[in-house]
Amino acid sequence: MKETVGITALVPPELIYACGKRPMDVNNVVPESSLSPGSKLCAWTAIWRDMILNGGLDIDSLVVVAGGDCHNALVDGQKVELSGMATHYFFYPFDRDTDYLRSQLEKLTRFLGGIKDERMFSLISDLKLKGRALDELRVNDRARASDVFSALISFSDMAGDPDVFEKMLNSVPETDVEYSSRVALIGVPPIYPDFHETAESFGLHVVYDELPYEFLRLGGSDLDSLARSYRDYSFAGPIKNRVELIKNELQRRRVDGVIHYTQFACHHTLEDEIFREHLDYPILTVQGDLPRPSPEQLKLRLEAFAEMMEVMP
Amino acid sequence: MNIGLDVGSTTAKVLHMEEGEIVFSKVVPSHRWIELIDDGLDDINIVSTGYFRKKVPHFAAITEITTASLGAKYHDPDAQVIVDIGGQDTKVIDLSNNTFVINDKCSAGTGAFLELAAHYFDIPVGSLGELHSKATKGAQINNTCGVFAISEMISQLVGGFSMEEVIYGLHQAFALRIAQMVPPADTVMLIGGTVQNTGIVDAVSNVLDSKIEVPGTPQLVNALGAALYRERLNDGR
Repeated sequence: MKETVGITALVPPELIYACGKRPMDVNNVVPESSLSPGSKLCAWTAIWRDMILNGGLDIDSLVVVAGGDCHNALVDGQKVELSGMATHYFFYPFDRDTDYLRSQLEKLTRFLGGIKDERMFSLISDLKLKGRALDELRVNDRARASDVFSALISFSDMAGDPDVFEKMLNSVPETDVEYSSRVALIGVPPIYPDFHETAESFGLHVVYDELPYEFLRLGGSDLDSLARSYRDYSFAGPIKNRVELIKNELQRRRVDGVIHYTQFACHHTLEDEIFREHLDYPILTVQGDLPRPSPEQLKLRLEAFAEMMEVMP
Repeated sequence: MNIGLDVGSTTAKVLHMEEGEIVFSKVVPSHRWIELIDDGLDDINIVSTGYFRKKVPHFAAITEITTASLGAKYHDPDAQVIVDIGGQDTKVIDLSNNTFVINDKCSAGTGAFLELAAHYFDIPVGSLGELHSKATKGAQINNTCGVFAISEMISQLVGGFSMEEVIYGLHQAFALRIAQMVPPADTVMLIGGTVQNTGIVDAVSNVLDSKIEVPGTPQLVNALGAALYRERLNDGR
C-alpha cells in the first residue's frame, strides 16, 4: 500500500505520484463533513486540521502549502506537526521566480523520498488532457457543470488513484444542457457541496471553475518543467496576472456574469473589490462559512442574479 | 388585473394594477397575508415576491431584486441605485451594471436594528423619526455592529445625552453602515418599510453625496414591481 501524503492546497500531484506516494487533497473531504471545528477562522483549514488531529483522515504525512497562498494553513499545519505528523512546508514564490520554485520542488522531492517512477509524469499529463476535453465539453453545452466540477476538483490529487480516476472521468455523462445564462465561478471553491446543482436549478450554467482550471492548466515532466509551469499558479502570484487570466477565460467561454465565491475569514475575500473594478461583467459575490447544503440566503442571491441577467439584460 | 403580492419578513403587501394604473393596495403583518387574497382572486393574476414568495399563491414568483428594479423604474425611469431597507436585510441594487449586494448577516443596517433600539426605549418604532427631528446633535455610536451600538447607546445615555440625541446618533450609525454598500451615483432611491422613518432618510441624505429619492409609498415598491412583472408576462416580454 502506497504511503498517503496529505496536501493542503495545490502541490504538483505528478511529483508525488512519481515519488511513489499517493496524494490526498485534505480539502476534498471538507464539503461533506459535519464536524464543528474547535477554533476556526476559515472552516476549510479548521476542519481538515481537526480531522487529522482526531485521526479522521488516513494520511502518513502532510505537505502544507503556506507561501503564496493560505496563512491559516501555515498555523493549522503546525498544530498538526506538533501532534507528531511528519510535515513539510511548501512555498510558492510571489515573484514567480523559477529557480526558487525549483529549489522548493527539490526539497519536496527529498521529503517524499526521491523520484522512483518517472512514467507517472506522462500518465498524469494524459489525464489532464482528458480533463481539459471534459472542461471544453461543458463550455460547449455538452455536459452538466455539476458533473464536470465533481471531476475537475479532484485533479489536485487524481482521487488518490489515477486508474480509478480515469474511469471516473470516462463516466461523466455527455448531454445537452439548457440554461438561461452562462456564468463563471471565481475564487476558492464553494464549501457547499451542492453549489453547482443549486446554480443549475436557477438556470445558471457554470462554464468556468477558476481553481480547478488551475489544476488542469499546470503540469510538467521533470523538476525544471514543473517549476516553469507551476510558478504561474495564479492564486499564489500577483493578482494582476490572475485578473488577466480570468479575463481571457471569461471571453473565451462567453460568460454572461461572474460569481465570486468568498470564504468567511479568508484573505482572498479582500480581492473582491479588485475583481469588481477590473472585470466588466455583472458580478455576484457570495460568502460561505461552514459546509452544509446551500442555505436560503445563497439561493436568493443566485435566483436574483439569474433574474437580473434574464429579465434586465 | 395584474396583482403584485409581496410577503416579506415583517409585512405583507398587495397592489392591484389595471391598464397601467394602481387601483388598490393594502399592507398587513406578514402572518396575516391571507387577508390580502381572500376575496377570490385568481392565482393566475398574481406575481409574488418577498421571503415567502414561494409559499403564497402565485402564477410566477420572483425575487425582490427584480421587483425593486421594476418598481423603482416605474417611479423614476432614470433611477440608478436602489437601497431597499427591509426588516431583516438591506439590498443595494446598481441598475447601471445589474449588480446587487445584500446584507443579511448583520443587523446594523436593517429594520431589526431599529426595532431593537425602539424596544429598549419602550417606544413604537414609528416614533423614531419624530424624536430624531427634535435633536440638534447626535451621540457618537459605533457604526459597524448592532450589538456594540446598543452597548454604546447605553453608555451615551449614562454620559448625559438625551434619548432624542441617541436616536439621532443611531440613525447616523445606520446610515454610515448602509453607505458602505452604496456605489457612487447621482441619485439613490430609498425603498422599503423602514424608509417611512424620516430620521433614516435624513441621516442617509447627510451621509451620501447623492440626491436621495423616496417614492410616495416606499413599502409598496416591490409589490408594484411584481404587478409590473405580471403585466410584462401578459405582453409576452
